[in-house]
Amino acid sequence: MGKKKKKVLAHGESDKSSPVFFNRELSWLQFNRRVLEEARDPSVPLLERLKFLCIVSSNFDEFFQVRVAYVKRQILSGNQVNCPSGLRPSEQLDRIRTEVREIVDTQYRTLHEEILPAIANHGILYLKPSAWEPKHLEFIETFFEKEMFPVLTPIRVSSGSSFPAVRNLRLYIAYLLERQAEVEDGEEGTERIALIQVPESIPRVLFLPTEDGTVAFTVLEYVIQKYGDRLFPGYQVKDSLVFRVTRDADMGVDEERDDDFIDAMVEVLAQREQSPAVRLSCVGGSEKLRDSIAARIDLSIQDVYELPGPLDLGSLLSLVSLPGFEALRDIPWPSLPSPSLPEDESYWSVLSRTDVLLHHPYESFHHVVTFLKDAATDPDVLSIKITLYRTSFDSPIIQALELAARNKKQVTALVELKARFDEERNIEWATRLEKAGVIVIYGIAHLKVHAKTLLIVRREGNTVRRYAHLSTGNYNEKTARLYTDIGLLTSREDITYELSLFFNAVTGYSAIPNLRRLAMAPSGLKGRLLTLIEREIARTTKESPGLIMAKMNSLADTEIISALYRASQAGVRIFLNVRGICMLVPGVKGVSENITVVSIVDRFLEHSRIYYFQNGGSEEVYCASADWMNRNLERRIELMFPIDQKELRKRLIQLLKLYFKDNQKASILLPSGKYVRKKPEKGEPSIRVQHVLYQELVTLTKNSDKVEKKEFLVRRKYPEERPR
Amino acid sequence: MADTKLGTPRLVGVIDIGSTAIRLVIAEIDPSGEWRRLDRAIRPVPLGKDVFLNGSISRDTFQLCLRVLTGFLELLQGWQITQENVRVIATAAIREAKNRDMFIDRVRMRTGFKVDVIEGIEENHLTYLAVQHAIRNLKKDIARTNTLIIEVGGGTTELMLLQRGKMVSAHSLRIGTVRIQQHLSPNSESYSHVEGYIREHIRNTQELLEAEFDLSRIKYFVTIGGDVRLAAERVGKKVHEHYSIIKKKAFIDFIDRLKHCTVDECVRLLQVTYNEAEGLVAALLVVKYFLNATAAEFLIVPDVSIREGVLLSFALDTSRAVGEQFYSQVVASAISLGRKYHFDEDHSLHVARLSLQIFDQLQEEHGLDSHDRLLLESAAILHDIGNFINTAKHHKHGQYIIANSEMFGYSRGDLRIISNIVRYHRKALPVPSHPRFMMLGREERMLVLKLASILRLADGLDRGHSQRIRKVRLEKRDEEILLQVEYNGNPQVERAGLRLKSEMFEEVFGYTVRML
Repeated sequence: MGKKKKKVLAHGESDKSSPVFFNRELSWLQFNRRVLEEARDPSVPLLERLKFLCIVSSNFDEFFQVRVAYVKRQILSGNQVNCPSGLRPSEQLDRIRTEVREIVDTQYRTLHEEILPAIANHGILYLKPSAWEPKHLEFIETFFEKEMFPVLTPIRVSSGSSFPAVRNLRLYIAYLLERQAEVEDGEEGTERIALIQVPESIPRVLFLPTEDGTVAFTVLEYVIQKYGDRLFPGYQVKDSLVFRVTRDADMGVDEERDDDFIDAMVEVLAQREQSPAVRLSCVGGSEKLRDSIAARIDLSIQDVYELPGPLDLGSLLSLVSLPGFEALRDIPWPSLPSPSLPEDESYWSVLSRTDVLLHHPYESFHHVVTFLKDAATDPDVLSIKITLYRTSFDSPIIQALELAARNKKQVTALVELKARFDEERNIEWATRLEKAGVIVIYGIAHLKVHAKTLLIVRREGNTVRRYAHLSTGNYNEKTARLYTDIGLLTSREDITYELSLFFNAVTGYSAIPNLRRLAMAPSGLKGRLLTLIEREIARTTKESPGLIMAKMNSLADTEIISALYRASQAGVRIFLNVRGICMLVPGVKGVSENITVVSIVDRFLEHSRIYYFQNGGSEEVYCASADWMNRNLERRIELMFPIDQKELRKRLIQLLKLYFKDNQKASILLPSGKYVRKKPEKGEPSIRVQHVLYQELVTLTKNSDKVEKKEFLVRRKYPEERPR
Repeated sequence: MADTKLGTPRLVGVIDIGSTAIRLVIAEIDPSGEWRRLDRAIRPVPLGKDVFLNGSISRDTFQLCLRVLTGFLELLQGWQITQENVRVIATAAIREAKNRDMFIDRVRMRTGFKVDVIEGIEENHLTYLAVQHAIRNLKKDIARTNTLIIEVGGGTTELMLLQRGKMVSAHSLRIGTVRIQQHLSPNSESYSHVEGYIREHIRNTQELLEAEFDLSRIKYFVTIGGDVRLAAERVGKKVHEHYSIIKKKAFIDFIDRLKHCTVDECVRLLQVTYNEAEGLVAALLVVKYFLNATAAEFLIVPDVSIREGVLLSFALDTSRAVGEQFYSQVVASAISLGRKYHFDEDHSLHVARLSLQIFDQLQEEHGLDSHDRLLLESAAILHDIGNFINTAKHHKHGQYIIANSEMFGYSRGDLRIISNIVRYHRKALPVPSHPRFMMLGREERMLVLKLASILRLADGLDRGHSQRIRKVRLEKRDEEILLQVEYNGNPQVERAGLRLKSEMFEEVFGYTVRML
């Protein structure tokens, strides 16, 4: 098995004449494997391990809805080779299926053999139906009759070909029924199928009463399954099956419809419920039901994933935040205030003398909210412009924008409705903003607005000054607690001027500008990156080789990758920190031997994009909203911005270097496509980059407080340092 | 309002409705003329294509323009810039559009913008203001040599000749990138054939120019516009905050390489947008043509445009900017025109001096401004220019010449006023049967009457063409103005002259005039 996989991922390596690439989907699967590795890491607290198991599932949901759906569409439209790795879509799909089965298998084994028994020891008991004792049954039955029965609506499936609309990613139970009368008559009766959707209005995790202070839970679908026969009087339930369908989510909106884009969006969302199915997951049981459902939604047996259950681990995430059980979770690393933004000085004043770099979630996102709130109430602020991609519901960002509009400031919000899976939420708050008087721009036809930036114009005395926030992460204070991102606050004239031009272009006032300091996709960002790489090649010599360090989520643009190969061949040393997909094959002799690729999966989701070019000693550092992916560079509105202030640039260079020193949560990508965990060399200290960064900030914050806090120096090995 | 107080910067917006695009610049400008560009926007519009081909603005373009301007209004509102701090100018395309009045009206109704259609020559002047500011550190060099300033637009090409830093002529040629493109046959894709067309079209103008000035003596070649800026970015060098230099050879190589390319190829080759590439080759070919006629070894490419000129005119706190520099350029340009028609320079300049002395002392009576004063000065310089044709009726010949000339700093409207002042500097007073007078507006007619009557007094005071009366002081009595004059020799002729020429003044200002 392992042997086969190696061959798969190293595909193309044999052909030395042309550059080699990993397949994008298979590389992504390797990423989800690394997430799973975290769930299997005994040094990680138990509930956090459970969390990683949940993430593996929700990652798969997105992967199937978008990527697998895409590959399947490619097969249908001719199965032409569409991937630089040279794999046909059908070959890709075969390998995806094999790989997914292997990962899911490991995932459920980890759940049932490691996590569930271990948390049971700590008092969190998962009770499957076979473990329900009479005291439980009494509660469950009452719950079913009182809470559930009224909201359950069985749908009968007619014998013909039509099949009721099984909604995307919802849990259902299918029943195989036979008329009671026929059964009693001993006749071979006609079997029917009926479906029940597990209600979304009731939390899926059902806590059962306990007496000893432990927590016991089960899941809703098993409750329904148990008493389902009560829903079909006159019938006998011969069999049942819990299942879930994943559908193609990549149905586009008709972009030409700019008149009522919201309506168009709503229609698309409705369609998504009906789009082609790509996966059927079910908990083992009735083969008959399984095959019948699969056939009716046009899926072959290869698209059916029979799991030990429960399905949809993603929705079990609520268990991770169960009250109490602190010992089973990470020691919290609460976000800290930035030492660069003292509480007793206005941001305007700070930023008029210096730029400020915020590293979230170590440094708190509340600074950004405060900045925006200040702007909303400051009498001298003339206007606020912002891009909103994924923002949280009832976000303080939205509230601040509403307030600003009510305070008669010109507020412009560029809202990306097309942010995948968030569309419904987006429509909701966009409408709200419009009501408050905000100029809402509903994105740009054919391009997703992915840039994350904020621009404030403020009158100061006789002049005006602009303040900007440019970031690698969204204006979403919830994800800002989990994603590592870099934000730059600045009032630099050259940057803010170009940011005005950027906004003029995306709000439709102006044609796309030529930018010098900033770089914007799709118009100039890719060209700029290629130029920067070429410059590094031109400046590299034997005596002082060039250096590129870059950190991103995904690397999948073949032009950029080819440029990196050229750079490697010219002697440029290249260190890439790529959390997710990486189509670049490192360490191939004569192609990429100077390239190192490392991926870090840890407590926070690595999300910042930082690009460093040595440039013959005149170093340049950029941050960006864009990954080095074709999608980002050509089909999205993105921004890359330079870090001009020397100390800040230094800080980011240090940061990048640190990312390559991690030997706890880092994996190195091998030429074969496999990732191996980095381990400290003999005598080398353990370095876990996220931990180091947090500790550094704690120290800094303490120093800036000028309060002496004594700490015990505990002489012990911390869990992550324990040899495994 | 706080921001209009002297000494404080002002936030202003300038919108320029051109032949290929509508552009906006927002700047903070202080009274010294320093500006800080804060924001800009550009949206391509095919106004030139419509107007130069069909004579009027099409419905679609009309709608597009309104959308663009509505957007710009919103953008200006974001800066809290109100209408009185916005100037909207329109050039060749709107100027020549048959439906320009409807356009201007609709824009006014929809956005509140008052579109100011400016004449080619005023365009010149605004451009000159901006250029002069951008290359002010070259002032000394320019004062020692000869300079050509050229801008190739969509509808017109603006030319200005500076001799030792003084403007000697200004022209607005009806050749521009949009017009050139129309002459490209639809199947000839590249520009290699277009050079002949340009040469043919420019030859006449060039001969005209050569009559005024020998182009081969030009050392400094200043050129502005988006197209040359693009060339400067590729093959030039930025040597100053506001301008770049391109070596002649580099420029010629650049255009020779491009002229065989289609627009699409230019887009790919230069990584620019289609709109940027569209007029590029045509514009550069026109520039190249003039460059080759001069002795310049390099091109100076300032990063300014007419919009910065308008900004400066804002800073100088009048829409027509009467800065000292500008003033002397205008006067130099009038003198240059006078010389062309062999005027009596000593007499003309002396009459101009006397006119201004009278004008300045009558401030309370006439209530006119510095621009009007400049009109008077120019009219005085040129009052006898018609003698070139015939002394008899020379006032009428003068009117004709001026109305059909181009003078730096003056719009067509200004020239109509100057020509009328010259017309009435002698002989009959205006009557309703004089069409060129009657076509002026009421206020303009009043202006002509006032200035012509002053010019008559001054002319009378140098009746002998010998500059005997050096200085004149006005003393106002109840219904009489007494002229106290300083003179050399015997001013007998002038005394008589004054009597002959004071009738109009007495009628216009209601004072009798007497020389002591």
